[in-house]
Amino acid sequence: MMRRATFGDFIQAAHWHLDPATTIHGPAAARGSAEEVSRSLVRVVTVLRRYLQDMTTTFNNVSTHPQAELGSWARAAIEAREALRNSAGFLNTHGAVSRWPAIPAASPLARRLDSVAESLITGRDLLQTHFSLGVYGGWQHRSEWAFVITSSTITRALLTEIASLSRTIARQGADVALTGVSGSRDNAEARRALNATCQWLWVLNASVQAAHQREPTSAADGELLRAIPVNIPPPRHLPDGSESVTALCEGTAATAQRLRHLAWDAAEQARWASEMSVTSMYQVAADNTVTSHNCEVLLRTLAARTKRPESDHVSAQLSAAADAARRTRELWLRTAHAIDDINTDTHGQVLPAAAETRDLVLWTGRLAYADPDWTPASGPTQTARRPESLAPAQVPSVIAAAHHVSATLTRLARAEQEQIRTAAQAGRILVTTRSLSDEFDIPRPFARAPRARVELLLSHYRDAERSSQQVTAELARAAETTSAPSRLLTAAVAAVNSSQVCAPEKDKMPNGFVGADTHREADDRPGPVERTLLHLGVSRPDVLQRGADIDEASSRLLIDAANELEPGQRRPRATMLSRSAGSAEVVNHALAVGGPRAVALLRRPPSPERESPEHEP
Amino acid sequence: VTRIHQLHERLHSAVGPAAVLDAAHDAFEEMLSVIRPREDPADGLFIPLVMAAASAAEGRNAITFAPSLPPRRLHPATTAQEPSDANAKAFTAELAVLSELLASRLTDVAHSAPDNDDQAACRAAARSASDIYALLIGSGP
Repeated sequence: MMRRATFGDFIQAAHWHLDPATTIHGPAAARGSAEEVSRSLVRVVTVLRRYLQDMTTTFNNVSTHPQAELGSWARAAIEAREALRNSAGFLNTHGAVSRWPAIPAASPLARRLDSVAESLITGRDLLQTHFSLGVYGGWQHRSEWAFVITSSTITRALLTEIASLSRTIARQGADVALTGVSGSRDNAEARRALNATCQWLWVLNASVQAAHQREPTSAADGELLRAIPVNIPPPRHLPDGSESVTALCEGTAATAQRLRHLAWDAAEQARWASEMSVTSMYQVAADNTVTSHNCEVLLRTLAARTKRPESDHVSAQLSAAADAARRTRELWLRTAHAIDDINTDTHGQVLPAAAETRDLVLWTGRLAYADPDWTPASGPTQTARRPESLAPAQVPSVIAAAHHVSATLTRLARAEQEQIRTAAQAGRILVTTRSLSDEFDIPRPFARAPRARVELLLSHYRDAERSSQQVTAELARAAETTSAPSRLLTAAVAAVNSSQVCAPEKDKMPNGFVGADTHREADDRPGPVERTLLHLGVSRPDVLQRGADIDEASSRLLIDAANELEPGQRRPRATMLSRSAGSAEVVNHALAVGGPRAVALLRRPPSPERESPEHEP
Repeated sequence: VTRIHQLHERLHSAVGPAAVLDAAHDAFEEMLSVIRPREDPADGLFIPLVMAAASAAEGRNAITFAPSLPPRRLHPATTAQEPSDANAKAFTAELAVLSELLASRLTDVAHSAPDNDDQAACRAAARSASDIYALLIGSGP
């Protein structure tokens, strides 16, 4: 089954291009021209600045708050933006930046950076597919993922990725800046400018680290960021009877995601689309009744499969989900009955989402019943799949499929309500006068539906939505327990919810843990003294340790001194601080290993009295 | 004599588009009303019946768009009782026969009616009747 591109594909590609083990751009050790690297770095810095600009919508009014009043991550976003602005200040950023250089660069690092920029630009394009320009110029959400992308959870995860990339680029860029190449036309000014750019990238990394220390992000946040798909529906696909359980789970989940995508646009079309018809409404209600029924059958099979004498925790969760699915089926059926009493001004055509709800009936039916060629017309002979026919390793995938289905039923119920409300406002929900008693003498076949009848109908959809939500909640628990792939659904919902109640102190995610690599505080590369010893061929551990101690002591001295400077005292420009290659190496090392306090080398630290006051518990 | 049987007879003997449409409308409505109480999840016919009910409602709604449908019923509501303990097999067989006749009569009117809107309504309703038939005899989608 074809997989949709995700943001993770591009961020991973960006990291891959910077990996020294990646040799398609030339040997990692090969030096290059500082000028050429700077030109390529412009592309990277420019696209990173665009990412940072996008984030300002997440941390509302981020640019108007005094920094001390902001949460750690909002402050990190501002500082990162400032660091990138300063970084760009040392590069020639005039003129439009092309997506790709006209001529391939000669330096290996420049080629790496060009590829990184391309990956980041494409990744940003992918995120942008979830938004469109509204009539009045503002950004409109075009998918359910748009809410996730603008959540503070994803913004934090994105900042963490940007910091990680910046750190790597800074290290590799500074290597080129500080290493003269024989025959290179680079002048000292170009190398100093490149080094200063890299120093500001280290500052960006330090700002994000500081936020992370105060409010840690979890690895799950990063997973969610990487899972954001391009905003196109998965292709339509129907089972042919030859599918394995795994393929049936994938097909069910993909169809459910496709339906959620189609349902998103439906409400917008309700006012005018001829496909918004009673035919659509019947199809959705009847199909969702059957899908809920199939889910109940499937969940009871799963509950039986996971029952263990020693622990039936998962089984109990699945039984609860099956009970909720039964209630959902009853409520969808009641909704279908309520549609019996109404009509619409168009008939026969159906909205794209309604046209494909039957697909979900088929996929869930093939999973729930033993017959691989099951159809809704299979009749009374149908038997449920035997619990033993599911391998233990398949259980999480089946749970994930059911989880996706329940999330889709919830979305469809909401979409139907939005459509009916919009259509009713436009006078498109009708009743037949033929159905009225002879006392009514209306010379037309239809009359506008009384408000009470529309409200009654809507209340049925609301009940079905709440019940579908209940199934989703039960399955979220089972997905968590069994590490089912649909845990991302729960993470996405949590991300959106956390943003809705967002206050800086409430941003901490539960059960978070620090990823060992992405949040590594210090650069583990040797400092200038230790490196020189290594270049000399020294291998005695005690001598190398002495070198490392001297490096650490010089970094600490510089950082402590910078932090003790008077707040009003101006910092020299980064190029001045790194005027000689020797001093640049020492400052670079301090920035790379010194953590958030090292920022004071280039920027005035925030005054203690400006720190935000602790909130009362 | 069941209500379904009465409607079968009425539809069979209807002459002219208005009479066929009137009988077909009542037949779909009757199917809907007899299927709804039998939508029992414990019954193996639950799924076909839920879908057949949706198709019956669809057929009825399609006919309401036909200009030749009389604004008032030509016949009073049927009075025969539907036996509540009717055997499921016999019940679905009776519905299948009625839906087959509906599809046939509506297709005839779709071909012969002079009005385009009548033709379109009859074609749509005939499709719904065919869907019901396929669901009930087990050859549906």
